[in-house]
Amino acid sequence: MKNNIMIIDDEKIVGDMAKLSLEQEGYEVETFLDGESALNRMEKKSFDVVITDLKMKGIDGLEVLRNVKHLYPDTVVIMITAFANLDVAIEAMRDDVQDFFPKPVKIKELKASIKKALEKKAG
Amino acid sequence: MKIEHKIYLSNAVHIVLLLLIGIFALHNLNQLYTKFRFTAIADGLNTGFLEMRLAEKNYFLYRDQTALEAITTRINKTTTTMQKLKSDIIRAVGPASYAGLEQRLKNYRRMVAAIHQGERNSPGIRKQLRKAGQDLKIFSENITVLERKNVAKIINHSKTILLYSFWAVVLFALFFSQHTVRSIGGALRQIVALTRAISRGNYKSIDQKPSADEMGAVITAINTMANELKQREQEIIQSKRLASIGVLVAGVAHELNNPLNNISMIAQTYEDVYDRLGREERISFMNQIEEETERLRLIIKNLLDFSRPKEPRLAQSEPNHVIHKTLDLVCNMLEVSNIRTKLDLADVLPDFYIDEHQILQVLVNITTNAIQAMSSGGELTIRSRYLEKQDEVEFEIRDNGNGIPPEFLEHIFDPFFTTKEEGGTGLGLWISYGIVKQHFGNIHVESSVDGGTAFFITFPSCNKVKRCNNEE
Repeated sequence: MKNNIMIIDDEKIVGDMAKLSLEQEGYEVETFLDGESALNRMEKKSFDVVITDLKMKGIDGLEVLRNVKHLYPDTVVIMITAFANLDVAIEAMRDDVQDFFPKPVKIKELKASIKKALEKKAG
Repeated sequence: MKIEHKIYLSNAVHIVLLLLIGIFALHNLNQLYTKFRFTAIADGLNTGFLEMRLAEKNYFLYRDQTALEAITTRINKTTTTMQKLKSDIIRAVGPASYAGLEQRLKNYRRMVAAIHQGERNSPGIRKQLRKAGQDLKIFSENITVLERKNVAKIINHSKTILLYSFWAVVLFALFFSQHTVRSIGGALRQIVALTRAISRGNYKSIDQKPSADEMGAVITAINTMANELKQREQEIIQSKRLASIGVLVAGVAHELNNPLNNISMIAQTYEDVYDRLGREERISFMNQIEEETERLRLIIKNLLDFSRPKEPRLAQSEPNHVIHKTLDLVCNMLEVSNIRTKLDLADVLPDFYIDEHQILQVLVNITTNAIQAMSSGGELTIRSRYLEKQDEVEFEIRDNGNGIPPEFLEHIFDPFFTTKEEGGTGLGLWISYGIVKQHFGNIHVESSVDGGTAFFITFPSCNKVKRCNNEE
C-alpha cells in the first residue's frame, strides 16, 4: 500500500513541485493551501506524513503540528519555513516535529527525512 | 525673595499690625476705665460740694449754727475721700487739677473756720465764703465736664484709629495677595503654556531667566524635564527606526525567501521529473520560474521606491480633483465588488502642493484596502474638508467593513505587515505613510472590529507651505 503524504503551504508552487517529486517516489500526495482545509481533510483520511509551512494565515504550522500530534499521534510532521526562527524551531521540537527545514528546501533532504520517518514508523 | 519668605513676612506684618491695634485698644480701654472711675468719684464729690452749699445757704438764711458744723463734717469727709482716692484722681485729671481742687477746698475750710471763730458778721467774709464755695463747686463741675468731654474724645479717637487700622490691614492684605497672585499666576501661566506645548510634542523651554523663588525652581525643573523628554524622544525615535529596520529585514528575508524557494523547488523538481515531461510542461516550468522572478523584482522595486524615494514632482493641485481621479481609477473595483460610494466633498477648499501621481498612489492604495475590507453591498465614504485652524486639507476614507483588531492597528504602517489572505505585499500602507510624510502631511487611522475603518490624511494647504500660485 502506498504511503499517504499531505503538504500544506500557502505558496501553491511548493505543493505542486513537492507533489510531482514525491509521487515519482511512489507516494500518494495531497496538497492544501491552508491549515483549516488540511485538518478537515484529515478527519476523513489518515496520512502517514504531514509536511506543513510554518507561517500561514489562519491556522499556522505550529497549530497544525499540535492538532496532528493530539488527534493522530502516529502521523509524522515535517515543518518548512521561509523565515527560520530559533524560538519557533525549539517550540516545534518540543511538540515532536520530525524535521525542520528552512526554505529554500532541498527536495533530496526532504525525501530522505520522509523515508527515515516511515522506516522508523514501520519499526 | 522666596515666596515662602514673602508669606512669612506678610504674616509677621499682619501680626505686628494686629498687636499694635490690640495695644492701642487696651490702652484706650484703660484710659476710659480711669475716666469713668473718676466721673463716678467726681459725682460723689460734686454731691458733697452741693450739700456743703446747701448747708451754707441754711446758715446764711436761718443763722443755723449746726449748719456750719455740717459743712465742716462734709469738708472733712470730702477731704478724706479725696486723700483716699488721690492716686485715682491724679491719674484721671493730673496733679494740677487735683492740687487746684485741694487748694479750693482748703480755702473754703478756712472761710468756714473764720466764720466759726466770730467773724460771721463781717459782710466781707460772707461774700468770701460764698465765693469760695461757688469756686469750689464750679471748679469741680468743670473738671467733670472736661473729663466727660475727654471720654467722648477718647472714644472718637479710638473709633478713627480702629477704622484706619482696619483699612490698613485690609489694604496691606489686598496688596500682598495681589502681588503674590501676580507673581505666582504669571509663572503658572507660563508653566501651563509650556506643558501644553510639551504635550503637543513641542519641547521648547522657558527662555527668560527664572526668578529666585519657588516658581523659578519649578520653571527650571520643567525646563530640565523638557530637555530630557526631547532627548528621550530622539532616543525612542532612533530605537523605533532601528526596530523598523529589524522588521524590514525580517520581512525582506521572508518575502524574498518564498519566491526563491519556489524557484529552487521548480528547478529541483524539473531535474527530478525531466524525463517524464513533455515540451509544454517544460515550458510551463520555465514560465513559473519567470513569474517568481517577476515577483522578486516587484518586491525589490517597491523596497527601492521606499528606501530611495524619488524626489516628488510637486505642483499646485485641487484636492477634490484628486479624489475624482482616484475614483476614476478604482471605479471598476467598486463595481465588481458591488460597493456603494458616498462622496462628501467640501465646496470650498484651498489648493495643496503635491506630487499628484504619488498622492493618487496613496489614495488608490487606501481605497483598495477599504474595498477589500468590505463584503458585497458595503459603503465607501470619501470626505474632504478644510481644517481652518491648522490651514490643512483633510481626506477621510471610511469603510464599513470588518475593521482592524486593536492589536494589529499599531502595526499597519509597518513594512510587510498584511492581514490580506493572499496577494498583499504588506508594503502599501508603509509606502503611503512615507509619501504622506514627505508632503509634510499626516495619516492616522481609526478602526473598530465590525465597525469599519477610517483613514484620515491631512496635507498642508499650498498657502501654509508658501507655494500658492495666485496668477489665475
